[in-house]
Amino acid sequence: MSNVVVSLLGQRLDNVGFGAKRWFRWRPTLSLLMHHDFQVDELVLLYQEEEEALLQKTIKDAESICLNIKVTTHKVTYSNPWDLEQVYGQLHNFAESYDFNPEHNDYYFHITTGTHIAQICIYLLAEANYFPGRLIQSSPSPEGPHGKYQTINLDLSRYDQIASRFHKEAQESISHLKSGIETKNERYNELIREIENVAVRSTAPILITGPTGVGKSQLAKKIYELKSHKKKLEGKLVEVNCATLRGDNAMSTLFGHVKGAYTGAVSERAGLLMEANNGLLFLDEIGELGQDEQAMLLRAVEDKVFTPFGSDKEVSSDFQLIAGTNRNLYERVEEGAFREDLLARINLWSYQLPSLRDRYEDIEPNIEFELNRYAQNTNQKVSFNSTAKSKYLSFSLSSYADWKANFRDLNSSITRMATLSNGGRINEANVDKEIERLQYDWSGGGEVQVSASDVLLEETLSAEVYESIDAFEKAQLAEVIRVCKESKSMADAGRKLFDKSRLQKAASNDSQRLKVYLKKYGLEFKYL
Amino acid sequence: MKIIDGSQGEGGGQILRSSLALSMCTQTPIRIENIRAGRKKSGLGHQHLMCVQASQMICNAKVSGAEIGSQTLTFEPGEIQAGDYSFPISTAGSSCLVFQTVLPALLLAKRESTLRLSGGTHNMMAPSFDFIERSFIPALRLMNIDISTELHAYGFFPVGGGEWSATIKPLDETTPIMLMERGEMQHSAIVTQAKVKSHVAERELAQVQKKLAISASDLHINEVIAACPGNVLSVQFKHTDGTAEVIDSTGRRGLSAERVADIAIKDARRYLDSTAVVGEYLCDQLLLPMALGSGGRFTTLKPSLHTLTNIDVIQSFLDCEITFTEIGEDCFEVRC
Repeated sequence: MSNVVVSLLGQRLDNVGFGAKRWFRWRPTLSLLMHHDFQVDELVLLYQEEEEALLQKTIKDAESICLNIKVTTHKVTYSNPWDLEQVYGQLHNFAESYDFNPEHNDYYFHITTGTHIAQICIYLLAEANYFPGRLIQSSPSPEGPHGKYQTINLDLSRYDQIASRFHKEAQESISHLKSGIETKNERYNELIREIENVAVRSTAPILITGPTGVGKSQLAKKIYELKSHKKKLEGKLVEVNCATLRGDNAMSTLFGHVKGAYTGAVSERAGLLMEANNGLLFLDEIGELGQDEQAMLLRAVEDKVFTPFGSDKEVSSDFQLIAGTNRNLYERVEEGAFREDLLARINLWSYQLPSLRDRYEDIEPNIEFELNRYAQNTNQKVSFNSTAKSKYLSFSLSSYADWKANFRDLNSSITRMATLSNGGRINEANVDKEIERLQYDWSGGGEVQVSASDVLLEETLSAEVYESIDAFEKAQLAEVIRVCKESKSMADAGRKLFDKSRLQKAASNDSQRLKVYLKKYGLEFKYL
Repeated sequence: MKIIDGSQGEGGGQILRSSLALSMCTQTPIRIENIRAGRKKSGLGHQHLMCVQASQMICNAKVSGAEIGSQTLTFEPGEIQAGDYSFPISTAGSSCLVFQTVLPALLLAKRESTLRLSGGTHNMMAPSFDFIERSFIPALRLMNIDISTELHAYGFFPVGGGEWSATIKPLDETTPIMLMERGEMQHSAIVTQAKVKSHVAERELAQVQKKLAISASDLHINEVIAACPGNVLSVQFKHTDGTAEVIDSTGRRGLSAERVADIAIKDARRYLDSTAVVGEYLCDQLLLPMALGSGGRFTTLKPSLHTLTNIDVIQSFLDCEITFTEIGEDCFEVRC
């Protein structure tokens, strides 16, 4: 690899006179050639026509410092070195015309000479990869004419402190997208990490799929808040469920109409797309959108223009689209109900949110979240007692819990229990009743078959043992397991379970009795 | 392959130069790791690379890792070839350090060699040509090593452009060196300068005269021609056997003439306060030729970490014992 330095000939800094004294002075461009730990194989000098004499002297001095250096020149012409347009244009021309060969050369653009405008332009060119190299900066030092130099890598993530700052910021954004819930499901967390990246960097459409109640519109709202917080957009969040749009009304709601566009259109209406200008439009249930609306939406997304209903003039609105759906849009395309080109356009960033059943690790943190939300909405703090909590949790995680409407179900369930609880405490009775209710709902209003004890036993016992025990034993065993789960130690559980009989014995060994009992069912206290 | 840890001791360029010299002399392939790990900008610098390339040239070595910034270098020497070599050194790199690196190998060659060195002749942080000519070579002569040099042009930082040549006769029968007592010394100070106002040299010498009590007739200004300006003050103590202690200080912008002089004066005072014959830098340079030749004894100042590291490197290649015995204040006897 050879090192190639590109430097603007500095009209002031590189020009310190032609006498012998120049060798004592720091000349930024030439100083780069004097370092023993940085070899310059080629120097490319960008100069202005009137600097010809300085250029020739600089070339001569460069060649006397470095015996084998190659010096090439490139003329730039700008009447005003403080005019960004002119300077950028000239430097861009250079970058475009220069035959960069990054396979064989390392390029360094020297930013110490030239105006601040030139520095800004060099930075912009490097950042946009027009200049495939690093920036290098030099500064004077009392050590001698060679001064100091420093290479600057624009990839900020390479700097530890900055990287950790970015990391912290990203963590905050991710936490925001998750509504502050400490989710543990790896797939979900991974998904949110990527959405965070996309939300911050991209203005392209995002498609969020997933069954009802997984939080699509919640997520859209959080993305909006994040972008708005980061000043990535200025406009509003406009939400609409496409299933509610029908007929003339659909066109007009989305794209607006002019006065008299249809019967009843007595005044002009701007429409939701216009309202979302410079903001974010969330179209939920996009699969329900009619054909005409799909065609118009495609145009609005691709070209940022559309025609209001009944108008012959195009209007324009710049918005980011987030679409939500619980349908398989590919199937809708096959059925001819959804435009393939529109799907392709909105499918760039497509995310499927997992159902609550697929995120069983996240049920517990979400229960806490729902309780907090209830507290905030009603100003009433509500919590579970510990037995009630473990009962509700073990039901939530069991195969009996369908969570058909996902987080919507969880939200309703917690709201019901919290409302029915007395003194801000959700007890076992509340939980039992709620479990019955949920099962009734999920069975489509059918019969309730499973008791809470059954749930606990199925969760705890091996399938083989569970199948083999009589209904007669189940109630007792379930109660023992419940007490064990609550107790700190086996002795503690033993005292509670054998509370009467232990009084009649001289020396009671409750732990031993409990251990033997549990062993019959293949259980050990420490695993409960 | 012999592995050398470049970070041992003072961890600088001397480990590299001594290792290259000894690798060639003993025909031992080496790998140097953690090159200059002790320095702020670690790895091979331009100057070090020049030493590697010059060494490669005189013995046809197989080399890998020879690039700027490289921390690991492998060097497999071939047979040492006497001949006429020219080593152009860019960016005013020190030609004296290159000379120092290739000299031991060429002493072991079958025929006489001539070197033409161009680059810096008076650099900071490196022995100057004055030191080579007046201190190092006369001491080697006492060991029956025959080298003659001739300076054609001076070279200062940052342009260099200095030029000198050296004729190196192969070793015949070496004699042990004995430099135990000083005897009479002739004190002098010389400023060598190019394109610098004469008052700078005058002030440097005035400071030396004031603080070291050197008589006016032993102060000299040597105005020279060079590609770029430069200024070096050299305080010299010449012994009756022709050897000398040479102490240099390089002038630069931002450092007053008096400060430049003070740097040399400080080292000169230390030398005068001791009874040792050989100064710190000469001691460093003499050990390798002594170990390759017939050894000897001399008195010197308290050894620096630089010297101790150099001894470790020498002893890792050669079966020799180098001992330091304290015999007075800041005075040690060295046996090899």
